[in-house]
Amino acid sequence: MLSIRDLHAQIGTRKILKGLDLEVRAGEVHAIMGPNGSGKSTLASVLAGRAGYEVTAGTVEYLGRDLLEMAPEERARAGVFLAFQYPVEIPGVNNTYLLKAALNAVRKHRGEAELDAFEFLAMIREKMKLMQMDESFLGRGVNEGFSGGEKKRNEILQMAVLEPRLAVLDETDSGLDIDALRVVANGVNSLRGPDRAIVLVTHYQRLLDYIEPDFVHVLSDGRILKSGDKSLALELERRGYDWVRQEAQVA
Amino acid sequence: MNALIAESIAGYREAFEVARPSFGAAEAARAAAFERFAELGFPSPRDEAWKYTSLRRLAMRQFVRRTVDSTPVALEPALVPFRIVIVDGRLRPELGTRGSPPVGLTLRALDAAGRDGEPLGALLRVPAGGGTERFAALNAALCPDVLLIDVAPGASPEPIEIDVAATGSEAGMSHPRLLIRAAQGSAARIILRHVGDDAAERFVNAVADVEVGADAVLHLYRLLSQGDRSFHIERIEATVGQRGTFVLHDAQLGAGLGRLDLHARLAAPESTAELTGLFLADGSRHLDTHLHVDHLAVGTRSLQDYRGIAAGRGRAVFNGKTIVHPGAQKSQARQTSRNLLLTPGAEIDTKPELEIYADDVQCNHGATTGQLDPAALFYLRSRGLSEQEARSALTRAFTGAVVSRMDHAPFATVVRDALDARLARLLEAQP
Repeated sequence: MLSIRDLHAQIGTRKILKGLDLEVRAGEVHAIMGPNGSGKSTLASVLAGRAGYEVTAGTVEYLGRDLLEMAPEERARAGVFLAFQYPVEIPGVNNTYLLKAALNAVRKHRGEAELDAFEFLAMIREKMKLMQMDESFLGRGVNEGFSGGEKKRNEILQMAVLEPRLAVLDETDSGLDIDALRVVANGVNSLRGPDRAIVLVTHYQRLLDYIEPDFVHVLSDGRILKSGDKSLALELERRGYDWVRQEAQVA
Repeated sequence: MNALIAESIAGYREAFEVARPSFGAAEAARAAAFERFAELGFPSPRDEAWKYTSLRRLAMRQFVRRTVDSTPVALEPALVPFRIVIVDGRLRPELGTRGSPPVGLTLRALDAAGRDGEPLGALLRVPAGGGTERFAALNAALCPDVLLIDVAPGASPEPIEIDVAATGSEAGMSHPRLLIRAAQGSAARIILRHVGDDAAERFVNAVADVEVGADAVLHLYRLLSQGDRSFHIERIEATVGQRGTFVLHDAQLGAGLGRLDLHARLAAPESTAELTGLFLADGSRHLDTHLHVDHLAVGTRSLQDYRGIAAGRGRAVFNGKTIVHPGAQKSQARQTSRNLLLTPGAEIDTKPELEIYADDVQCNHGATTGQLDPAALFYLRSRGLSEQEARSALTRAFTGAVVSRMDHAPFATVVRDALDARLARLLEAQP
């Protein structure tokens, strides 16, 4: 589904990704872990098409298409979803408006009819229940005045509504207390399926207690140094990241 | 003063002399007003009140004073059941709603008010000071009529609408004039729509005098939608009585060159002025707003909250001045000017000015000018909205805060729809 080869990216003149390779197939959950500044969030941003990141080498293929050639909205419509590390507050743009406009854009792209107002509301209510969100969220501005945990839940709500093929979660666990973490993990787990791939970008192993990954990768200095199964995450938790770097240097 | 401008004032004098025989008892007051205009003349670029707005083109033109005619006027549907129509400064009762105005309201024209003993000095008063005193004087000299609206003490009449239209296929000028008096304890809402098309260059020079009595509340909903070839200059002069409130909801959507000077005098204790509005200066429109609030008494409150958008070669000016005079203790003044530039060539000059000469007051002001937030644009696009949809949603959110304060639903709807249509065209035109 997603095939990243030798990806190099920089912000301004600062090189951040330095030859990253990653292969994600449908149905898989990948965790990308690494110390601060290793390039985790840059990877997420490049996949979503955020401006300001220059890809200087390498390719990203998504469902057979050149992802880097697609505008952010084309990526979203084609099924790529980024859960933001820092969701933006947009006062004056209503949550319901955004959910509806986003869903209709995606459905239109898939050749599906727009949902009518009743179908839409019924669907939203069900997903909100899953995310344990109050209905008053709908009438508020996008993320306006939301707490950190509410913002993260709202990201997963949007993901649940849009049903992407490839979801990239950028540090969705950061700033969450244990209850909120459970709710978010629950939402993500409900979306696991054979047609969908999930890439979790995270600093801590904690999230992986709730969302069990098929693969764990260690990202350091812009490259993936080591890949393994979920036991790698536990080992990182115990031993930190330094031994991976030393091992890589030896090799 | 350069020669062209002198010639142009001679043209206005000629128009005044032609009209003079029709002025009757008002002749002396009008002659004095005209001399005030002639004395002040057109502003020069060095005039601080006209720093960002040049009237050179206006000063160089000659306009015919439009006299009575029966030109058909195309009006938008009325927003409330009772509408008054003023065409080229003249009351046209046959175009408005037949029958009596809402209970609690009295409407009179200049002659009738004069016969009732209303002093001409009040009906044709020339407000002193500000950048538009000259034009208010010209209006007092040349206005063909005055619409006097009285709200009875304690009355809460149904809202009314006043449509002020500029017509004709020749370059004409008109001088519409209103005097609104909301008596003690009354509550009224008045919609004021300035409309005109692009058939000719026009000079509309409007004046509204507003007197809000003690414990009275007056809401004025102003919509400016003049044609692109128009010069629209307007002076609104408001005085507010004890515990009275004047509220302006302003929507400036069109005029080739538009200028509003609003002066609110809070001379009675606990009087309030709330001035909120928006302007959209796209194309080559130039929209200039000058607000001036004087806090002269204890416990007075004012709010200025304007949002402006400029695009294309559009240009806008916002100048909000609030003065808290000595002795106006316990006063509160808030000023906000937020501005959005949609394209690189557009320009907005904003200047909030707060002068405080009392020590026990609460005041704050702020002004911002910027572009749509790139992080918010990316967020919306990353959810599948096109760039155009995202820009449109953020732009509507920007004006939404002011539109949602327009607590007259049909008026708010007209403003919102007009904004949406214009913004849609604007955003489509962008690459």
